[in-house]
Amino acid sequence: MQKVIQLQNVKKSYNLDNVIVNALNGISFEVNKGELVAIMGPSGSGKSTAMQIIGSLDLPTEGRVFIEDVDITKLSHSNIAQLRGKKVGFIFQTFNLIPSLTALENVTLPMLFQDLNKTKQKQKAKELLALVGLQDRMDHLPPELSGGQRQRVAIARALANDPEIILADEPTGNLDSKTGGEIINLLLELNKKGTTVLIVTHDQNIAKRAKRIITIRDGLIAK
Amino acid sequence: MILEYFKLAVNNITHRKVRSWLTIIGIIIGIASIIALISLSLGLQNSIAEQFESFGSDKILVSAATFQGPGSLSIGLTEKDVETVKKIQEFKVVAPFIAKPGSVEYKGESKFPIIFGGQPKESAELFADTRTLEKGRYLKEGDHYDAILGSRAAKKLFKKEIRINNKIKINGKEFKVVGIFEEVGNQQDDSAISIPLDTFKEIFKSGDQIDFISAQVKPGSNIPEVQKKLERLLKDKRGDENFNVVTPTQILEQISQVLGIVQAVLVGIAAISLVVGGIGIMNSMYTSVLERTRDIGVMKAIGAKDSDILKIFLIESGLMGFVGGIFGVVLGTLLSLGIGQYATEAGFKLLVTINPQLMLFGLFFAFIAGIISGVLPAYRASQLNPVEALRHE
Repeated sequence: MQKVIQLQNVKKSYNLDNVIVNALNGISFEVNKGELVAIMGPSGSGKSTAMQIIGSLDLPTEGRVFIEDVDITKLSHSNIAQLRGKKVGFIFQTFNLIPSLTALENVTLPMLFQDLNKTKQKQKAKELLALVGLQDRMDHLPPELSGGQRQRVAIARALANDPEIILADEPTGNLDSKTGGEIINLLLELNKKGTTVLIVTHDQNIAKRAKRIITIRDGLIAK
Repeated sequence: MILEYFKLAVNNITHRKVRSWLTIIGIIIGIASIIALISLSLGLQNSIAEQFESFGSDKILVSAATFQGPGSLSIGLTEKDVETVKKIQEFKVVAPFIAKPGSVEYKGESKFPIIFGGQPKESAELFADTRTLEKGRYLKEGDHYDAILGSRAAKKLFKKEIRINNKIKINGKEFKVVGIFEEVGNQQDDSAISIPLDTFKEIFKSGDQIDFISAQVKPGSNIPEVQKKLERLLKDKRGDENFNVVTPTQILEQISQVLGIVQAVLVGIAAISLVVGGIGIMNSMYTSVLERTRDIGVMKAIGAKDSDILKIFLIESGLMGFVGGIFGVVLGTLLSLGIGQYATEAGFKLLVTINPQLMLFGLFFAFIAGIISGVLPAYRASQLNPVEALRHE
């Protein structure tokens, strides 16, 4: 099996007002291509930090992180950004759409930073919005959409550059259970098509649907 | 890609309309004042150059060292000096003048324009190729209580227009208007009244005092040499240096020099307002970075490089500068044209022209000011840590 993510003894500490906070105390795991993994753990356990490090938004204080076969701790800022844009699709609890851009523009944005052909960008963005069932809402601004619709736009955006990995950080946290269920179904479908999906969640029901659960407690992987 | 960034920047600007416009107004004021001041001083330069051209470049002007223009207290030149000037053979015409404000009455209204006294024959020769008449004739030998009016003196000075052959009273004596000059474009000359020198002496009791002597050289003479020769001769005869011998070219140079300094000061002041405008952009950009911290985090999360963020924000600030530049250039040009028009109507011919080079310079300058003001905020935006930015509320 091809490994898409490898964490090797990753430690992360922050300096918060001159107090050193150890968020991760040395975690190691691997995720194979096409896996569906749920990351669980209480608040403050370090699971969000782990997520940020996997997504290359943040770098570990110690240890190594591989995405496919690339050690991101050795890359330059702009190369990390490039890799992140190409290989990772983020889905956030608070959707994090750009409020002044339409749904279509939001979905096009990741492709813009990869410098792809412009007409192809638009075509692809339309296809992705159709995939998440929002073909009628393309020209709406995020504030004009419901929570579920916004998260669908965010999923379409996450898929824009055909990423290897989808990282969803509490994707249903701001949604009612019915809408949340739909979003999870959408993520499961994507996983069936071959995309590696990591979901950070509190929700046991969601975690049960994953093939593998990684629990983080006090900055360590709980056995 | 730049085009897409441009769209993003426009999107950012238009999503905070009021603040963007307030910021842009700062640049508009700065650029408009620079453009207006430069256009006006260029116009002033043109007008002065034209005035001197109409005066004639083949003339030399002799005045007392204290002579500051008509009406000032001038001591020094007398009929004797006129005789000295006449000794120089290179002069074709030597015309002495004296000028004082006089009380002029017409149809019960009374005003105080400048009255010039000049010898009829010599003045007529001197004016032949530079000051044309609109109506009537020049003064001639044998004229006594006769006057030529500047166009403004005839048309605007009094409520009722003065026409040829009308009678006016100067210092209580009745004069007949025999000629009216065409407009030359400066209020002083256009409002003046010319009368024969002898008559002037009589009604003003000015003795043998002379204010200035205007002398025209014969064709082909070397003017700087004649000027030096005259200076030496006057110094010899008078035994002092209490006089000035200048050519129009010299005066023009001096005025241009002074004008250059004035221009530099004015543009400097206008530049201050542009700097203030730039600081406005900087302030607005910092606020914008702060407001969009989360968006910046999102953009980084979906693959934006530091340089992409830098570009987006720089385009935004450059664009605000550029838009301010467009409006500023238009406003500044209209303003200077308006002032030029107003000045010309008020009797001071100010030749303000539309200067495409200056307009382009203004646009470019505004754009650069915008970019420069945006550098620090944009750099700050580009260096934001994505994790912290995403956590920002």
